[in-house]
Amino acid sequence: MILRVIGCSHHQSSVAIREQLAFTEQQIPPFLDRYHARFPDSEAVLLSTCNRTEFYSAAQKPDLIPNQNELVEFLATERGLTLDEVRADVFAFRDREAIEHLFTVAASLDSMVVGEAQILSQVKQAYQLAVETKRQIPLTHRLFQSAIRVARRVSNETEIHSTRVSVPSVAIGVLAKRIFERLDNKKVLIIGAGEMADETLTYVVAEGGKSISIVNRTAIKAEELAKKFNGQVAAWGSLEQELAAADLIVSTTGATEPVVTDEMFDRVESARNQRPLFILDLAIPRDFDKSVGDRLNVYLYTLDDLQRECELNRQSRQSHYPQALKIISTETELFLNEADRRSSGATIAQLKQQADKAKQLELKRLMNRLDGLPAEQQAEIEQSFNRLVNKILHPPLKSLQNEPAHESGGLLDALKKLFQLNE
Amino acid sequence: MRLSHFNSDKNLHSKVIHRSPLQSHFEDWQPYLKLKSNNENVDWLYKISITCFAASYLVVFALEISRVFFDVGLRKFVRVGFAAAGLFAHTVYLFLQGQLELNATGIWLGSWFGWCLAAAWILMVAYLWISIRQSKSVFGLFLMPVVMILIATGTLFADEKPFSVDRAKSVWNMVHGSALLLGTAVVALGFAFGVAYLVQARRLKKKMPHSNLFRLPSLEWLQKSSEQALIASTVLLAVGLISGIAINLIRQKATADSVGTVAWSDPVVWSSAILFLWLLTVSIFNFCYKPSRQGRKVAYLVMTSFLFLVLELAIVWWAGHAVSPVDDLADLKQSLNKIANISDDRQTLFQLEDIE
Repeated sequence: MILRVIGCSHHQSSVAIREQLAFTEQQIPPFLDRYHARFPDSEAVLLSTCNRTEFYSAAQKPDLIPNQNELVEFLATERGLTLDEVRADVFAFRDREAIEHLFTVAASLDSMVVGEAQILSQVKQAYQLAVETKRQIPLTHRLFQSAIRVARRVSNETEIHSTRVSVPSVAIGVLAKRIFERLDNKKVLIIGAGEMADETLTYVVAEGGKSISIVNRTAIKAEELAKKFNGQVAAWGSLEQELAAADLIVSTTGATEPVVTDEMFDRVESARNQRPLFILDLAIPRDFDKSVGDRLNVYLYTLDDLQRECELNRQSRQSHYPQALKIISTETELFLNEADRRSSGATIAQLKQQADKAKQLELKRLMNRLDGLPAEQQAEIEQSFNRLVNKILHPPLKSLQNEPAHESGGLLDALKKLFQLNE
Repeated sequence: MRLSHFNSDKNLHSKVIHRSPLQSHFEDWQPYLKLKSNNENVDWLYKISITCFAASYLVVFALEISRVFFDVGLRKFVRVGFAAAGLFAHTVYLFLQGQLELNATGIWLGSWFGWCLAAAWILMVAYLWISIRQSKSVFGLFLMPVVMILIATGTLFADEKPFSVDRAKSVWNMVHGSALLLGTAVVALGFAFGVAYLVQARRLKKKMPHSNLFRLPSLEWLQKSSEQALIASTVLLAVGLISGIAINLIRQKATADSVGTVAWSDPVVWSSAILFLWLLTVSIFNFCYKPSRQGRKVAYLVMTSFLFLVLELAIVWWAGHAVSPVDDLADLKQSLNKIANISDDRQTLFQLEDIE
């Protein structure tokens, strides 16, 4: 099996190139169809996310697969670019490196946020789109199934995925869960309607948050956000009432002075009956007076507090990195062994078949000349021929087996040439 | 701890034979009796001792502690397995010991010893349930010590006389004992919830980094559980107190002694009344004043209730409340005769060992 991958990712390509080489889900099937029309004897899978575009191609024999330049040129042309325009931003791997790369990507070890779960579903989707081209893809099928299995193994056997590393995910997925058992019966108040509010709300909704109020000085932005997350817009003037009713507050305004002062919270506190309140002050400078966090049953976390938590989680992930890489290395070895076993298996069978054919011809010729030989002696001669063939074949086949699987390509080729086996 | 009694003290019946049965009962009351079955297939059940389940619980506690330091995949199953095995042994032991005490005193687990072990059993059931519901949390760190203390207290009180026989036979007494037993277990459970709440709240307030190794249930869950424990314990202890008063009144009626009055001078009565009043006040306060239902206030309330309960139980023990009074001699004689009959009857499930 020959495997090639070319592509670009956040590691070595600028956003501009990544954007130009990116494909939408709808664009992938026609792209694959055009590829198969040009290179009908190889298989192809295209993985395209916001951080990477990777094009995998596989074939049984080297002359059936396009070379690196042909692949890059095909991809570039498809996106209206020339080879020279993308050459510097594109990486290319072959065989072992390509397999290892896919396993690393699927296990989310190559992601911008190591351990993020989305990439595995994107890998699955890429494979699914290749399957939908209705072409036989046995080689890439095995490769991608292995990649999915490896990703699950890394997830199960290491804690690389168990810690969250983005500020909103840590705030909602970790800290809010330490305070609230569930979010579906909690009142969530969003102060400000910026990008951070948007991102945090995604996690709030994912955790079951339903009752969402958005307060913003500019009503239009608040309405857009409310529409997106099925929330309600409250007037800026009703901030105190909203503060009194809220269980979870996410504040992300661009105000230069605290929006909620100690005095304001004094007025709010009596109406709250000391209900636990979780405040995420994600604004710089702060939206809440520091002293608000000293109140009973109020848990105030600022961006600094959350980033500290994120950093600890990142370090925790890094500590699991070597263990994950070890799994990938082992799995790559296993995959290569399996691929070589499949590949050499056909050659060995052919060699045995060829030897058997020669043996049968010689036996037939000998038996014709020794006409009238008793059946017992005929059987004795046949057994002798069998032993001879086995003894001749045993050393080369053993050498083939003892050769490290992925390095046995040369020996296999030599065997084919020596015994004039057909491809 | 007198764990050695379990296997070594086989002399109750011999003492019954050589000495006055009543003397033996009062002077040498030992609930640890080695039981033997007639059925060889279930013989192993009769070999279960306190050591068996106490050791299982110690392993569970050690595993809970180890969760704070390192993570091992299979530990959860080992921990729950040990807890379940310990609970099984505990159940069998309580059942068999209960049968024995029933024969001896006329009531199931009619002693401080049995009572403490039964309370520990209830808490272990709660532990297993919470282990399944909140599998990632280390709540056992707070609950297992209470279980271990109850078992240790039970064995320390093993020499205490059994509860009164005639009292035990009345329905009121059963209600009284059961409600106090359940109430004690629930208050102890509430105490563990309260401590866990304060630890979790402190960690959040101090912004201590989240640890996968030291996870606790959410504040909301702990608060709700504490609140429920508070309400349930108030109701149960109220039932215990009212039934206790009823028992006193019935006894007074039977002896025609100052009928219709409550012996308020009895330290057990006034301390029980104080505990009940405390719980009632707390519950009313909780109902009327919303902030008291929030956060650490509930935690403080359940922890104070626990301290009140410990004080109350200490007074009950000190005052010798519930143990056999001297005028119950006739009933005790009957009970002890029952034990002797058991040993003679080969068909019965239980036999005392080493009968001379």
